[in-house]
Amino acid sequence: MFNKIIIIPLMLLFITISSAQDLSLSGYARTYLGALTTGESEYSIIQNTFDLNFEHSRGDVYFKVNPFLYHYSDKNLELGLRQVYMDLYFDSFDIRIGKQQIVWGKGDGVFITDIVSPKDMREFLLPEFSEIRVGVTSLKFNYYLENSTFELVWIPVFTPTQMPEASSIWSINPNYPLPYSIDYSNSDVKNKLGNSELFAKYSLLSSEIDFEIMTGYSWDDDPAFHSEKIINTSTGIADSILLKPEHHRLATLGGSFSTTIGPVVLRGEGAFYNGKHFQSTSPLSAGGTSEKNYLHYLLGVDFSIGELKLSSQFIQQAIMDYDDSLINDEFENTMTFLASMDFLRETLNVEFFSYIGLNNGDALIRPKVTYDYVDGFQIMLGANLFLGNEGQFGRYDKNDMIYTKLKYSF
Amino acid sequence: MKLRNVLTLTLLTAAIFSISLYAQEELNGKKIIENVYYRPTGDDATSDLTMTLINSRGDERVREIQQFSKDYGKDEKSIMFFLSPADVRNTSFMNWSYDEEGRDDDQWIYLPALKKVKRISSDSKSDYFMGSDFAYDDLGDRHPSEDIHKLLREETINGDDCYVVESISKEEDYMYSKTVVWVSKDKWIGLKKEFYDEDGDHLKNLTVKKYDKIDGFWTILHSEMHNIQKNHRTIMKLKDLKLNTGIDDNMFTERMMKRGI
Repeated sequence: MFNKIIIIPLMLLFITISSAQDLSLSGYARTYLGALTTGESEYSIIQNTFDLNFEHSRGDVYFKVNPFLYHYSDKNLELGLRQVYMDLYFDSFDIRIGKQQIVWGKGDGVFITDIVSPKDMREFLLPEFSEIRVGVTSLKFNYYLENSTFELVWIPVFTPTQMPEASSIWSINPNYPLPYSIDYSNSDVKNKLGNSELFAKYSLLSSEIDFEIMTGYSWDDDPAFHSEKIINTSTGIADSILLKPEHHRLATLGGSFSTTIGPVVLRGEGAFYNGKHFQSTSPLSAGGTSEKNYLHYLLGVDFSIGELKLSSQFIQQAIMDYDDSLINDEFENTMTFLASMDFLRETLNVEFFSYIGLNNGDALIRPKVTYDYVDGFQIMLGANLFLGNEGQFGRYDKNDMIYTKLKYSF
Repeated sequence: MKLRNVLTLTLLTAAIFSISLYAQEELNGKKIIENVYYRPTGDDATSDLTMTLINSRGDERVREIQQFSKDYGKDEKSIMFFLSPADVRNTSFMNWSYDEEGRDDDQWIYLPALKKVKRISSDSKSDYFMGSDFAYDDLGDRHPSEDIHKLLREETINGDDCYVVESISKEEDYMYSKTVVWVSKDKWIGLKKEFYDEDGDHLKNLTVKKYDKIDGFWTILHSEMHNIQKNHRTIMKLKDLKLNTGIDDNMFTERMMKRGI
């Protein structure tokens, strides 16, 4: 409520100021209606969005604030600041201070080295990527030397992945053999200097190849669910489980590249993570988790056949020093496939995107048609189809939906 | 939005129409087109480009771009910042083109929604630029060696004496069976160009509506591409053209693609 009291007048104030000052105003209004295709075609989402960008620059100083407002038919208003930051530009370096979305890597729709900004997973991977990434309050320093960039990011306050509420259709219920309760006492990372996150990246853009090398000392955005068995004092037998979510430190070393071979763009991205906690199949032993090092990488190609744009990626997650008690497979293989084509002088776009889980034979298929009725006004029709019964996509098999979005940009 | 094989309209001017004051003796089709290609056009250029797309019903859509280009010997770097329509604002596109025969351009696009600079292939030269009637290859720095050129005749257009040159691609599956360009003899800029499709049918006409001498270089400021078969038109207008302002090399970097103007 406090947020609403503050932010709505603030947005109105900015709009007023923007008309009086040299403040640039842009953004969009969007209405989004989605219905499940299973059961009684229940609406899965009715959402109205207002997203604003206020920008101003004075010499070598630039300021941006990006408030957003989501209105749901069955919920209160959700308000927030997606980004609010200041840039200081110098001859050979820039400094950005404030809440900002930071995007790294060459992969599409996959988060391998792109781990600086956490994710909003309240609607799984369905929102636009600008809405999935959560801004982090941070200081970013970029030094430029010809076509090279050195980037340092200091994040003083940890922000975890935003997970769906328990009542959400996107919520995942842990599958334990006994009833469980959750103790959140260890789930917060205290706001103190020693709990900062640090990331560094070197990137080069050149005629032959573009590449990035990164490293990070951060917290795992996703908590590990440690477990304790609760012994019934009268029977002496474990009759329930206490789950204790906790974030752990994670060290990451990775990189990505992109180059052109004839008409094909070849992309790759990979990272080694030290200290990732995986859930064990035996929650009654060893705290329910096991710490392992792990690799995550992809190879992808982009090419065209006539006016049809095609893109595909192979992605593998590999747990090192694997033991059979882990719930995750030792190797988890996923593919993505994108086909896109424009018609009617690029006013009509037909797109087909899919994630395919190779381990479980599951998939998320996302066809959509977008029509620019007039410049800046889009009508979109699409579907999100989950195939399979298990796996990261198949577990949402009951969430197949069709949707429409109307978006007015200004 | 497709963004491939794009150079600035300044380059369009240079590559397709402009021509240097070479000695006129022994001029043949090939030499005219080579002169077009190698004509000096200033070391750098900046301008605002407005592109108006008009359909057969007369409905208009407007795209606005700010563009910068700079020569590096015979190679060139250019960068475009999209200002409108609103849903493409802050998108930028960078192209590094090379004189070396057969070497493809390097191209990148920055999409603000993704916050990523993506390398893209410069292969689809037959795609249309931002839904206009200009194919990417119409805008690009097409090397003279890619076509066989023939001087057909001499004609006068609106008082300008012109060479009429026919160009046929050496590539079998090229999108045009031939093009014919009218090049002004005294101003050495092209005033008209006809494009014929793969079946040999007349596809579209490019007509220069206004040109001027800016900083010593003849420059096209207003042109129109008319797709005869579909009755589409695209009008391109240049504003605030500045040549040889000494654009910094840092303009053509990933930093500027993300930062914008």
